[in-house]
Formats: sequence, C-alpha cells, structure tokens
Amino acid sequence: MEGAAVTALLQIATRSAWNRRGTLALVVLSIALATALLLGLERLRSDIRGSFTQSVSGTDLIVGARTGPVQLMLYAVFRVGGATNNISMDSVRAVAAHRAVAWTVPIALGDSHRGHPVLGTTVDYFTHFAYGDRQPLVLAQGRAFAGTLDGLYEAVLGAEVADRLGYRLGQRITLTHGLRAGSGSELAAEHADKPFTVVGVLSRTGTPVDRTVHVSLQAIEAIHLDWAGGAPLPGVSIGAEHARKFSLEPKQVTAALVGLKNRVAVFNVQRFVADYEAEPLLAVLPGVALDELWAAVGLGERALMAMSGLVALVSLASLVAVVLAGLNERRRELAVLRAVGAGPRHVLALLATEGALVTLSGAVMGAAAAAGAVLLAGPWVQQRFGITLQATAPTAQQWALFGAVLLAGMLASLVPGWRAYRLSLADGLTPRT
Amino acid sequence: MIRTYFRLLALLSLVGAAAAQAPAGVPAMKPPLAAPAAAAPAPPGAPRTITWEALVPADWDPFKEFKGIDFQMLDDGDPRANEWLKKMRQAWDNAPVNPELVGQMVRIPGFVVPLEDSKEGLKEFLLVPYFGACIHSPPPPANQIIHVLPKSPVKGVRSMDTVWISGKLTTGKTDTYMGASGYRIEATHVAPYTEAAR
Repeated sequence: MEGAAVTALLQIATRSAWNRRGTLALVVLSIALATALLLGLERLRSDIRGSFTQSVSGTDLIVGARTGPVQLMLYAVFRVGGATNNISMDSVRAVAAHRAVAWTVPIALGDSHRGHPVLGTTVDYFTHFAYGDRQPLVLAQGRAFAGTLDGLYEAVLGAEVADRLGYRLGQRITLTHGLRAGSGSELAAEHADKPFTVVGVLSRTGTPVDRTVHVSLQAIEAIHLDWAGGAPLPGVSIGAEHARKFSLEPKQVTAALVGLKNRVAVFNVQRFVADYEAEPLLAVLPGVALDELWAAVGLGERALMAMSGLVALVSLASLVAVVLAGLNERRRELAVLRAVGAGPRHVLALLATEGALVTLSGAVMGAAAAAGAVLLAGPWVQQRFGITLQATAPTAQQWALFGAVLLAGMLASLVPGWRAYRLSLADGLTPRT
Repeated sequence: MIRTYFRLLALLSLVGAAAAQAPAGVPAMKPPLAAPAAAAPAPPGAPRTITWEALVPADWDPFKEFKGIDFQMLDDGDPRANEWLKKMRQAWDNAPVNPELVGQMVRIPGFVVPLEDSKEGLKEFLLVPYFGACIHSPPPPANQIIHVLPKSPVKGVRSMDTVWISGKLTTGKTDTYMGASGYRIEATHVAPYTEAAR
C-alpha cells in the first residue's frame, strides 16, 4: 500500500513537473552550474595541493639567494616566479662540504625552449631528484646527458615537452635566452649558434619536471660565453666547437637541492646556510615552505568556496521562487488532487518530491559537467601549469559538497510544500477574479 | 643572534652561581608543552607519558667546558666569543640521548616540522618542543628533536601543529653525522594535542 502510494506520488510529481518543463529546466540548469562550480573548485583545490606535494620528495633543503621561503620553493621546484639573485658555486660547494650533507644538486634556471623552462644541472640530478613517494626519475627513452665536454650540447626532455612538440631522440633544438620566446624572429634572443641534441626523454611524472628541458651546467655556461651585460657581445661570436676550449666551470647557479645523511640534522644545516658569511643565503624545508604557501593561499580558497556556496544558495532560492510562483498556476491542479482524496500531507509530499527531483537532476548534471570539464581541460591545465587534474572518483569532500547541495535543495523545497499545505481546498476551487 | 646567546649565557652563569645545583641539562629549553612531570604509572604495555626534559640525560652538562669562564667579561667583538659559541653549538649538536628511555614505549607532545609529505598524508616529520623551533631561532640540541616515522601517513597535520605521538623510542643510526644522539620514534599513534589528554 505504502509503496504503491509513493510510486503514485512520484509519478504524479514527475508528470506534473514535465508539464512545466520549460521553467524547471532553467532551474535545473542553474543548480547544475552551481554544483559544477562547487565540485570543480574542490577538485582543482585538492589536485593543486596534490600536485605541489608530489613535486618534490627526498630533498631535505633548497638553498638559494635570500628571498622568501615560498618564493624560493616556487621558483626552484615549480618554475613559478623568478629568482632574486643567483648564488655562487663556491657557496654550493661549502654547503656540500658540511658533514651532515649527503648530496647537493645545483640548478640553473633562466633560459627556455619554446616556453618550456630550461634547467641546467649536473648528472646527479637524475639520481637524487625524486617526486611523489620517493620515486626517482626514469628515462623513457635514451639516456641522461653525459655531462662531459664531448656531450656538451645534449638535452634531456620532460615527457610533456617531448609529447607536445613531437620531439624524438636525435632532434636538434635551440634554446632561448629568457623565459618566453618571441613569436617572430624579430623578438627572439636565440642561442641559435649552439644547437642541442635530444639524447633522452623522461617518463611522465605529473610534476613540473615534465615541462622542463634538462641540460648540463657547462652547457648553460657555453651558450652564454659570448654574452655580456645581458646581450650578445657585438662582433664576438664563439662557435659551438670553439666554446669547448673555454673554461666552462659554472661560477653561479640559481639554487641547489640538498639531501642529508640524517634528516634530524636539517636544522643545523639550515642554520649553517643562514649564517654563511660569504654570501646571504636561504635554506628552506620544502614541506614547511609548502605549508606556508597553503596558509597564504587558504584564505583565497575559502573565499572562493564561500562564493560558490553562495552561488548554490542563489540557485536554490530560484528553485523556491519558481515552485512558489508555480503554486498560483497550480491552484486548480492541487485542488483537484485534494478533491479526489489527497490530504494536505500528500500535497506537501508532492511539492517536496518535485523540488528534490529538480535538485537531484541538477546536481547530477553538475557533477557530470564538472567531471567533463576536468576531462576536457585536464590536458591543457597539465601543459600550461603542470598540474595534473584527476578524472577519478570524487573525493570525500566532493561527496560532502554534493550531499550538501541535495540536502539544501530538499530543505528548500519544503518551503513551497508548506505553503501548499496551508492552502485550503476551498481556495483552489473558488474561482478568483 | 650571537649577542642573544651571550646574554643567555651571562644569565645562566648568574643563575648557576646562585643555585650551583640547578638541574643539569638545557635550562633554556623549558618546554611549553610539558606533559605532567609525575605521570601516573602507566599500565604495563601502555606507553609512558614523558616530558622533553626527560630526553636529556641527567648527567649531561653542555656548559662543562665553560666552567670558570665569566661571560660578563666579554667585550663586543671579542674573538673568543665566536670560538666559544662554535664550541657550544657543537656540544648541543652532539647532545647525548638518555639511555634509560631508549627502547621504551613513550608518549610525548610536540610541534610538527614536516619532512616528507604525500597525497596520503605526512609520512615523516620532526617533533620539536616549542613553536617556531628551528625555523626562526637556533636549533635546539640534538636530544630535543625526535624524528617521527608514523606507521600510516597522517592526514591534516601542518607545520607547527601540535600532536601527541606514541611509540617506541629508539636512536637513529650511529654512523651518521649526529652520532648516536638522534632520537627516533616509529609512531604507532599520532593524535592532535589536547591539554586534558592523559
């Protein structure tokens, strides 16, 4: 009996709603957009955090010129922003000589290849740098650059660079001075005289490594040999082969990644770096710097979430408004229902069901739209920002948000339901003029 | 920074003169997160709640080498100051562990400094006795830092959050820079810090 009544009620609610599909479709759309916004934002938030957390592992300290911890971290690991200054190679050697330090990997940034950052480093980078859960870098094809004079102009590409530009082993590439290539040849400070050969391609990591072109520190020195004061020296040109005769020992680097023998010593080394007298230096613990970043970004995140929460509220308010406004047109419909024996409770249930159905379809559509947007925009976001958006099962937070939208929708539809409950039978049957 | 050290030292020598039998150890490291000093005897098998002071061996005196030196006599820029400071730093970096506690199940509160973060949560962190330790001030002695390796990754814990950890207290590898003096806990349990927790 109960089951039959519920089915009948659902049927009536669906058919009645279908009768007014035009208006209700708009409400469904607005709820869908609000849900998509909420879920999409949550996905973006958790994936950005995930991506950042994944990007560096096993590195105990990042040493660079004195700036903010977050800035140093962003630049050295995520290639976001810029360095305030370089540090001298002597300082890096001094840190490497500290008895608690197991390894140091100097890195030099500042050049690019078609918008992809170029990282000058040593061969050690490929053994010591790790991402995710201490996963080492793996070469999908070829080998690491040799790091010798013979292999001076060798480059190892991140997976994204190779995929996007369609490069294979043996490809000749030229590097650009600065971080972005000009569109035409008029605006390009190319190191065209010293082309590099691709000797290796790394496996995909889902971190900024994928977007990076790796060359040796000596190569970075070599391509800048005939540069002075930030421009090519007029009338001076040192050929690619000739460059090998010069001292290519790097004198300056952007930063250094440091690994320790015992992680408990991290504060001592950090203090050693901070007190280093020859040059002002800064050492940051990646995890601490990231937490500082989240603390700063968290405020913005909360503001965005609050805004999208408000958007959801507004669309639910429009649901209430539409159903309430519909009540007037539906006075006859409801009165007929009452006349054939439906109690006021049934009318309440009918309207609440309608609201719930509208919210449910809107929320489901929104979730689908959010998932679709992640699928569609994922590759672009990965390529542009190096952040991997995961088109996987919803996170706990996403489920919570989805549930909250549904619950709020159901509560909201009780409002018109209550209004209809209060309407008397006579009210619907008496024609008004 | 150096000046702060010496002010501290001067103060300590004064205090030392007044109370020659002041508890040895690191008077400056009074932990604000002190667990009850005289914790009720824990049932066998359950971790014993300890304080940060307990991690310092009772007979360790970092100022042993400085006996008889009157720090107040130092002028600004005295070359001996730097030398002594270095020596003291070394003493602190090589601070010994308390052998009585090693191997015991303990429970201790502290502040988190993250080392290894992953998607599943924090996999490795250092526990320090006071807020901001090691980030804005000279690092605490080696025996006031605990390297924590949780059994399962800890979610939702950030830099300088306060937690209770419990597990078996061991020492780090002896062949490393810090000698035998690094504490390590493979924590079976990491919980947010609450005052009332016992």
